[in-house]
Amino acid sequence: MPLSSDAASPGNERALVIAAQRGSSDAFAALVRLHQRRAYAVCRAIVLTHEDAEDAVQEGFLHAYKALDRFLPDQPFGAWLYRIMANASLDLVRRRKVRDADELPDTLALPFRDPGESDELRRRLNQALTTLSERQRSVIVLHDVEGFTHGEIGNMLGIPEGTARSDLHHARAALRRVLKDVRSDL
Amino acid sequence: MSDFSGFSNEDEAVADGLRSLHAAPGGDAYWSELEARIMARVADVEMGWWAELDRWVRPALAAAAVLVLAAGLAIFRAHEADQQLASDSMLSSPAVPVFTGIRPALQDDKEAAVRFLFGH
Repeated sequence: MPLSSDAASPGNERALVIAAQRGSSDAFAALVRLHQRRAYAVCRAIVLTHEDAEDAVQEGFLHAYKALDRFLPDQPFGAWLYRIMANASLDLVRRRKVRDADELPDTLALPFRDPGESDELRRRLNQALTTLSERQRSVIVLHDVEGFTHGEIGNMLGIPEGTARSDLHHARAALRRVLKDVRSDL
Repeated sequence: MSDFSGFSNEDEAVADGLRSLHAAPGGDAYWSELEARIMARVADVEMGWWAELDRWVRPALAAAAVLVLAAGLAIFRAHEADQQLASDSMLSSPAVPVFTGIRPALQDDKEAAVRFLFGH
């Protein structure tokens, strides 16, 4: 019987995890289907480009597959998986930093889908994101765009919840200034 | 602890801008393809294990065969040497003196028999 990922209930997910731990690649594929969009969002919040986010998602799922035996099925699979995704993304960012140490871009790469679509706010936001620390950028995207809680973000990035709150506060303040500038210029 | 979670209209506008910058690619085809790529890499891991095993099987079998042959040869030679040593020691060792003894009781019986014959 093919394994369905339609019902994303915790019980169904737990059954999929157990089946995947017993070696069912269909079950693992169903888990990939269930989580890949959210996993992409986590990675995209941390890395600079869409291509890097794709790489990090693949690396993350590969790590998860290899570490599946160590996962306790009673724990929330998503939280475990997104932490792996965050680590894969942070690894990628570190590797990129070493590689691109001499050629840091002034702005972040825009998503590949819509290179022509860049209004003033997006352009300036894009610039402003480079002035934030890597962690502040990740926190504001994970919180304000993806809707993760401070606790979840702290868990993913390996920082205290209070630090996530503080990072969010500073990142919002910086980006608010950008918005104000854009509005006063227009 | 300060509550930094207040979300203003300005923040909402910024979040909208960020959303458009970080939006995930739409379309089921994209996600199906990404899933296929992920599962292909997972399969590579599995195949990699088997391929690695397969890569080691032939040399391992050859090494095992050589070891078995060497062990067999060593055992054969050790056995042969033992036999040689045993036959050498049999041929070269001095004759072991054979002590014959007559049990006192037998001795007494013999004397009694002689005395009986000569006495009658």
